[in-house]
Amino acid sequence: MSQLDEIAEKMLRGLAGRTSRRSLISLLGSVLTGAATLPLLPVARAAASDPPSATDPNSGETPPQTTGNPQDPGDPTKCDYWRYCAIDGSLCSCYGGTMNSCPPGTEMSPITWIGTCRNPADQRNYIVSYNDCCGGVPWGRCACQNNVGDRPVVRPQNNNEVTWCFGTQSQSYTCSTAIILGVAIDQK
Amino acid sequence: MNERLMLAIYVAISACAALPAAAADFPTPLPAETIPKVETLPQKYPNTWAFLNYAGDRIELRNVGGDSREIKGELQAHDSATLLVAEQRPELYVLDTVWSRGVRGERTDFITVYDKQTLNVAGEIVLPAGKRALITAMEGLTTFTDDQRMELVFNFTPASSVTVVDLVNRRVLGDVEIPGCSLVYPTGNRGFSTLCASGTLLSVRLDAAGAVAGRAESKAFNPLDTDPLFTASALVGGIRYFPSLHGRVQPIDMRGDEVKILADWPLVTPAEAAMSWRPSGWQILASDESKLLYVLMQPDAHEGSHKEPATEVWIYNVATKSRVKRLRLVRPGSSISLTHGPEPLLLVQAGERLDAYDAHDGSLVRSMDLPGFRSRLQIESLR
Repeated sequence: MSQLDEIAEKMLRGLAGRTSRRSLISLLGSVLTGAATLPLLPVARAAASDPPSATDPNSGETPPQTTGNPQDPGDPTKCDYWRYCAIDGSLCSCYGGTMNSCPPGTEMSPITWIGTCRNPADQRNYIVSYNDCCGGVPWGRCACQNNVGDRPVVRPQNNNEVTWCFGTQSQSYTCSTAIILGVAIDQK
Repeated sequence: MNERLMLAIYVAISACAALPAAAADFPTPLPAETIPKVETLPQKYPNTWAFLNYAGDRIELRNVGGDSREIKGELQAHDSATLLVAEQRPELYVLDTVWSRGVRGERTDFITVYDKQTLNVAGEIVLPAGKRALITAMEGLTTFTDDQRMELVFNFTPASSVTVVDLVNRRVLGDVEIPGCSLVYPTGNRGFSTLCASGTLLSVRLDAAGAVAGRAESKAFNPLDTDPLFTASALVGGIRYFPSLHGRVQPIDMRGDEVKILADWPLVTPAEAAMSWRPSGWQILASDESKLLYVLMQPDAHEGSHKEPATEVWIYNVATKSRVKRLRLVRPGSSISLTHGPEPLLLVQAGERLDAYDAHDGSLVRSMDLPGFRSRLQIESLR
């Protein structure tokens, strides 16, 4: 039984890499790696700009937030918040939503993908549902992209370039949430 | 008298004093200019120009072959927009999606037909609503077939299908269901192939009315669990080459109606594989179309690094299945394309730069701005 659970969890983790973000989100996501490796050639310097400021509302950065619950630690506007272990897209916490709700004026897609994340506070594994919010204003703020588990679109459910706003009035992508569905059966 | 006023008087006096000498230098005044005046483009674009598709959000035409670095024109793009450049007709086709009220309202999927010389809209073809795949602009979302008389559009709802469009008469001909398969690659005289989740390739032959005339599915050859093929490809000698995540290349002959899956071969030696050299980036392949295949390569690759910028371009002779050159990039690059002129340039998108290398000697010829851009660039070099 435990083996089955392990397989199930692996499948869920595998499913978790993906989604579809609109292109803007995708393109913002992979920036940091590229930027960090730019050599200081004259042309590179010419292209350089000031680093984003956390106080600039257009910077994509936000001041620190907390959930207020010590059992749910971390900043829901940052990519390293524990629930975002498999997220791919813009964080709704930066758009007027929260880690588990959509911003006003958007619609939550019922079609979703799922990950399993370990809560560092209680050391439990949780099943997390990454529902997208659709039909709002997308502008690439708080973009988190993780290509671990991403695969070519031949298996769309494992691809993070696809927009997964299905079953909503508008298929225009806005941001992603990370909702606790329950404690994972396998706690190893 | 305050200082500001004194300064203004000084400037005015200086200007008057300079006037006679300047007028003497230029005895004829500038002529009156025409209003209105709008630029047009040449009937045939130089092969030193290229279209740049910024992740489906914006499409621009650039002179990449001259130091003037001009932008020659822009095409409207909203969501996952793709571009096809016709050679048989003086037209461009942009496939796009909009909602009637910005991000809400009625969805319209449509192809805009542009006149190549004026970039004016020559027509449009509205597609059956709500089906087109909204995926970051990439190869395989659309293609020509039937000698560019037809355009094929990949749909994902999440059911997969292909819409067949008659570009000559500007009308939709119909849909072809391709359950479990994704993307479209032109095949035979009139048809397409599509990559399936079972690891096979489904090839569909169409009749002149766009209806299915035949289907053939290959045996499974794409090991999706262990070493899947990227969906980016390049044509060399008419054969389509797909690299795999771990560094194989899979040639497929789609020239005839009978598609042939050819023998794959490694892009890396065992020693290079041990150093985890793998293909990576976005538009990771280019070719000179006759002999050489160019592949973006990254060392120390690991799970999840396959879309990160690559540090080198490795160049292969596909006839001998051997690498002929390694080119170390001045900046890690994500998308590459080769221009088609007699002195081809290797274009490399590297963050906010578009670097142009001499394809023969590998030297950096020029570097152009891509302001604010990061990744997911599709480069369309022109003939």
